[in-house]
Amino acid sequence: MEYTSILDNFLSDFIDPKKRIFLGYLGLSIIIAYTWLILVRQSPLRIAHYQIFNRKIFFSKSAQIDYKLFFVNRAFSLLISPLLITQIAIATFIYYVLHRQNMFYSGQFSDFNKTFVVALFSMSMFVADDFTKYFLHRWMHRWPLLWAFHKVHHSAETMTPITVYRVHPAEGILYGLRSAVTQGIVISTFVFAFGNVVDLYTIIGVNILVFFFHIAGSNLRHSHISIGYWKFLEHVFISPAQHQLHHSIAEEHHDKNFGAALAIWDWLFGSLHLSDVEKNIIYGLSESDSGPKTISDMYFKPFKDIKRILLVYFKKIQRDIFFSVD
Amino acid sequence: MLKDIFKYSTVMGAMILPLSAVHAGGHSTSYGPFPVTLQGYSGNTDNSVSYSGQIARHILHDSLKVLAGRGNGGDNSDSLKAEMLSYFSGSDKNKAILAPVTKGAFVMKQGTLNEISSGKNIEGKFYNGAMMAWPGSMKGRDVAFHMIERAAIANKGVDAENGYNWPQLISKFTMGAMAYSQAVDNYLDEKLEANTKPNNKPYKDGKPYTGKEHVWDEGFGYFGAAAHTLSLTADQAYGIAKRKDMASADANGDGVVDLKSEMVFGPAYYAAAFDRSGTKSTNYLSTIMGAYMDGRQLITSAKGAILTDAQRSSLKAHASIIESNWEQVLAEAVFKYAGSTYKDINKMQEDGADQTKAYGAYVKHWGELKGFSMALQSGRNNLGETAGTMNDLILFGPVTLDNSYVTGVTPSGNFKREKRMTWNDYQLQLLKVQQLMVNKFAVSSRVNDQLADLGALADKLGAQSEAETD
Repeated sequence: MEYTSILDNFLSDFIDPKKRIFLGYLGLSIIIAYTWLILVRQSPLRIAHYQIFNRKIFFSKSAQIDYKLFFVNRAFSLLISPLLITQIAIATFIYYVLHRQNMFYSGQFSDFNKTFVVALFSMSMFVADDFTKYFLHRWMHRWPLLWAFHKVHHSAETMTPITVYRVHPAEGILYGLRSAVTQGIVISTFVFAFGNVVDLYTIIGVNILVFFFHIAGSNLRHSHISIGYWKFLEHVFISPAQHQLHHSIAEEHHDKNFGAALAIWDWLFGSLHLSDVEKNIIYGLSESDSGPKTISDMYFKPFKDIKRILLVYFKKIQRDIFFSVD
Repeated sequence: MLKDIFKYSTVMGAMILPLSAVHAGGHSTSYGPFPVTLQGYSGNTDNSVSYSGQIARHILHDSLKVLAGRGNGGDNSDSLKAEMLSYFSGSDKNKAILAPVTKGAFVMKQGTLNEISSGKNIEGKFYNGAMMAWPGSMKGRDVAFHMIERAAIANKGVDAENGYNWPQLISKFTMGAMAYSQAVDNYLDEKLEANTKPNNKPYKDGKPYTGKEHVWDEGFGYFGAAAHTLSLTADQAYGIAKRKDMASADANGDGVVDLKSEMVFGPAYYAAAFDRSGTKSTNYLSTIMGAYMDGRQLITSAKGAILTDAQRSSLKAHASIIESNWEQVLAEAVFKYAGSTYKDINKMQEDGADQTKAYGAYVKHWGELKGFSMALQSGRNNLGETAGTMNDLILFGPVTLDNSYVTGVTPSGNFKREKRMTWNDYQLQLLKVQQLMVNKFAVSSRVNDQLADLGALADKLGAQSEAETD
């Protein structure tokens, strides 16, 4: 591979509208931030400018680790992604399985109105994707073995849009599989039910709903610009401030707001916390969590943590057996 | 100075002229005429190309297909069977060409078989190995006779009860069992060996062509391409086979289509059909035709001398290109008709569908699917497990309206339908047939791809291998 194409590959996310850090979305996020700070928070332009482009944040130790992880993880994903099961393999498998039942036949609803089917598919894909993100995210927090990996993300003490890539590769694999399974299920069931009428409404090649999520400032979730919505809206959509609260070290904020775009899952499953933009939030992990600090920690500490967790677990089992024999 | 330019240009011109003549003769875009290279030939023919016997067999096949649809449910069965056999097994009489015949402005030069070649038959050139795809564990020729017998008693060639469309079954099977089998398992196989039909002797005493020239020509004849195929697009070749494109067919401009050299028959027609449809990513027609041309030019260039081992191995390489591409064309056809059959099942289940019409289309497409799958098993390669899997998936007969399907034949040749399968299960098997064609034969034109929608949507959504974590 040429050096230029390697570089292209590393930076391709900035020009891919399917990615959150697409330059267009970043630009819109900056405009939203200015608008919010100047019009809503009544900040002078100079202060707004300082808050948005705060050098202490963008060049903090934590942010520097984010940037390094962005590149190293890219290399990992180049190696790993060809090995992962694809959504098309899963879709084909499920499509086959759907032929095993006899309640419905393939293409049974192919005479439905195309506009309706395409809208339903675009919506279902978005909702299913968001729903599975919520649950995987919730498990990443609740299950100690997964939390060992997810701590890498939460060890960020300052947040920039690049923090979205501050992820352990194992978590990357889990999210990739989640996406493949979700897409595989939705695609196959829709094609089975509606035949070749199924399509996706897109803007610049992206699911229209994902596009709106991004232009509505998805990058501000990982930032210090604390934008909150009206209370009723924060029950439906997760605001940047709600996600920032998810990164807070304050105990009352722990295990809240797992949602990606929609807040309804948090609301339904009892993990919703509305934003409080007046409150000063400190990002990171609490002392007891002893998060990773160095680049090497980011990759290897989760495995050490897991080993420790398993040892404690096995010792407990051993002790239980010992006592039960007594 | 001017004088010098004139001098050099004259010299250059003198050099280029003979070169371009060689170019026209050596790399012509037409399969024939090719010069007589046979050493010691004293006749007055100046063209060594001859494959009219193969063209006659394509016509016998096309005519047989027409006859297979002429049954009236039993009353004419004896006479129809006899007529079909006169095309299949041959006849002393000069039989009429029933297909292809003149259609509007598309005027055929010949109207009877003897104008092409006399005394030819299909039976003698029909694959006679085991044909496990058909119930009754018969050999290839017996399967053909069985089909002819059943076609004779059917109504307009269709046995609706068992789900058989005889013209399609007979035609598609023959396209493999005669044309493909003869070309790849005979002429382009053992007849290319050193001690068979050598190039320094006439094919038969008195003939103007050498052994190897005629072996290659006969191999070409079975492909059924027009001699001027290399100057045609896939669309034009398709238009000729459909008797629509007179301008493209009439290469010599005499106002009629010479079936011996200007017509496009079955195997070449399907190669063109897949090139111009589906993903439009294939070049079966020009690849196969190019290999035939290269092989023929190689033999011609030996000038009647025995072919060296190097020349024969080069010839075999061309033969191998022909065989693999032809095999892929048959696999593309299996892929396509598995998809059509799948879609037909959906249509039959639609509310308010014209059941009889939809079932008729289903049975027709299934006949093509089955016929091509049998054609694929008539070549040089023993497909082994692939053939077994394909036969198990396609079944001996399609799932019929009461969900039963043919499981065998009685000693008297009647069909037994002792098992049932749901439509969904059968559709799944058809999907697996498509998958099998992709996995085993790397088909890439993929007409009627029933999994294409899944792939297209997956591409549109894009993979999310790198997590964006919140």
